[in-house]
Amino acid sequence: MTETATAVPLRVGAGASRTSTRSIISFMVIAALFAYPLVLSPYQMDVARDALIFALLALSLDFLWGKAGILSFGQAAYFGIGAYAVAIVGPMIPNDNAALAGMVAGIATAVLVAAIVGYFLIYGGVRGAYLTIVTLALTLIARNIATSWASVTGGEAGLIGAPPPGIAIGDWSIVASDSISLYLLVAIILAVALLAVWTVCNGRYGRVLIAIQDDEAKARALGYNTSGHLLLVFVLSAGLAALAGGLYASVAGYVAPDLVGLLLSTQAIVHVALGGRGSLIGPVVATVVVIRLQQEVSSYSYALWPLMLGAFFIAMVFLFPNGLLPLFTRLADSIFGRSDGGRT
Amino acid sequence: MPVKGFAVYFELVLNIATTVSVLMLIALGLAIVFGLMNILNMAHGELVTVGAFTVSLVQVNGGSFWLGVVAAMAVGAALGVLLERGLIRFLYDRPMGVILVTWGVSLIIQQGLLLSFGPSPQIVYTPVEGSIEFFDSAYPRYRLVLIVAAFLTVAVTGLIMARTRFGLDLRTVIQNREVAEILGIDTRRVFMIAFAGSSALAALAGALVAPMTKIVPTMGAEYLAPSFFVVIVGGAGSLAGTVAGSTLIGGLRTVLDYQVPSTLSQALVLIAAVLVVRLRPRGLVPA
Repeated sequence: MTETATAVPLRVGAGASRTSTRSIISFMVIAALFAYPLVLSPYQMDVARDALIFALLALSLDFLWGKAGILSFGQAAYFGIGAYAVAIVGPMIPNDNAALAGMVAGIATAVLVAAIVGYFLIYGGVRGAYLTIVTLALTLIARNIATSWASVTGGEAGLIGAPPPGIAIGDWSIVASDSISLYLLVAIILAVALLAVWTVCNGRYGRVLIAIQDDEAKARALGYNTSGHLLLVFVLSAGLAALAGGLYASVAGYVAPDLVGLLLSTQAIVHVALGGRGSLIGPVVATVVVIRLQQEVSSYSYALWPLMLGAFFIAMVFLFPNGLLPLFTRLADSIFGRSDGGRT
Repeated sequence: MPVKGFAVYFELVLNIATTVSVLMLIALGLAIVFGLMNILNMAHGELVTVGAFTVSLVQVNGGSFWLGVVAAMAVGAALGVLLERGLIRFLYDRPMGVILVTWGVSLIIQQGLLLSFGPSPQIVYTPVEGSIEFFDSAYPRYRLVLIVAAFLTVAVTGLIMARTRFGLDLRTVIQNREVAEILGIDTRRVFMIAFAGSSALAALAGALVAPMTKIVPTMGAEYLAPSFFVVIVGGAGSLAGTVAGSTLIGGLRTVLDYQVPSTLSQALVLIAAVLVVRLRPRGLVPA
């Protein structure tokens, strides 16, 4: 992809300071994540919690799109699989492990779907736009299943009675049901997922992925099983999206076909692109900010938001192809006095 | 009753032909543009929608259906030029950027139409009333007109590609852009005309299906995935591939719709497309 090849000034030694600035931002974000609920009413906390779940979805997309270069419209399909699995499988389990069992089922299904589709396509040499289209079709089909297979999915009305997150070992059990513990649970899972993806991508593995993004043929010539690596990221990303979906169903208590729509995939793409593709923390922050903005706009006019979303897409590509995070990083660099005298 | 069985069979063939015709018209422009510039126009479906809305507007204002069809093609071509000149030409070296920008355009067109026309379906009256009797079963006359019109359009496009100077330039650019430029072909002009033509074809498809579908702002989005499958399965930039791909995808879809719920048939078509891509990564008939 030539997408990353926009003019980034090469400065000796700047890489290190950029990384540490980013670490500081990441640390501050994670700290804010846990301090945030202290100043919120329970209703606002629920809204913030949902935003964090969508941030997890954005993270799953950033892993795939930012780190492996595969733009996917399929995240909503996996999200939906995860959500519906909790709402369908959950109630069958009598004890407090219900949500957990549903999530495991959902993640397993999403991983299986992604593995099958991904195996055929990625090993078939399908890349770029073709792959994007198939993921688009996945979401369309998932949406159709959600609306038309009414006996199982509840059709347009969806399903209620998804069990709250909990865990039971023997006689001991704990269930998160009040706003604050649900928020903290989601925040912890997000932080762990963020840390895990970050660790994976910062090590050797991340470099292999970068090599594949830059020039897959060369990486393959160097002996890397590029298809295998891409498939692994494709599958892991699907699992992460399904986890987000399962969490959503579990904390919200219901599922509806809206959770599988193309709009959800579209929003995840906006969050990632705005936050800065491949930066992991950027999309998480962008999701929270954009969802806040979306609420403001929607309360003003419901019809305005899709128009703005469309305009966002166009502006994004032309005005800030690397997302907003690099702008903020540069700003932070100059505030912390790490820049090279603001010459950039 | 053998006669009855034959009638059902005949109707199936005509239904397949209808689906294939529409798919072919939509995918044709997409395939040419993709083969030519390696870009995906995510707003292609919305051009179909715009075509249908144009016909409806023309009819509401007293024009005939066929005037509406011509108007739809003109509006489609104009929109295509606008899109290409205004946005896409800046992004020829950023295929991912094109996907995002055209996706944004598609959201704006959808929502814009929704705001201006409301959510209730528009109405288009069919220009050819009545039906034709085939072996005791009646088939709407208009569908036959649609099938003929679609195949004529594809034939004309084929002739343009095979016999005209522009067609030669177009095929040269599809084969190898650098060489085409060295030979003195103005690739940017070829791009613009091809994009306008592709948009006009999509609008034409929308205009032709208008009398037999629900005309709502989201109608085009439903054609997006199937027509992309056609391009993937058939082979980008190839006319024969588009015909082959449309026949496979459209035919399979129609046959399956008789047997299983439409959701399942959609999923099965996706699986079939994925399998074909695995076996023939460059499509059934590569350019």
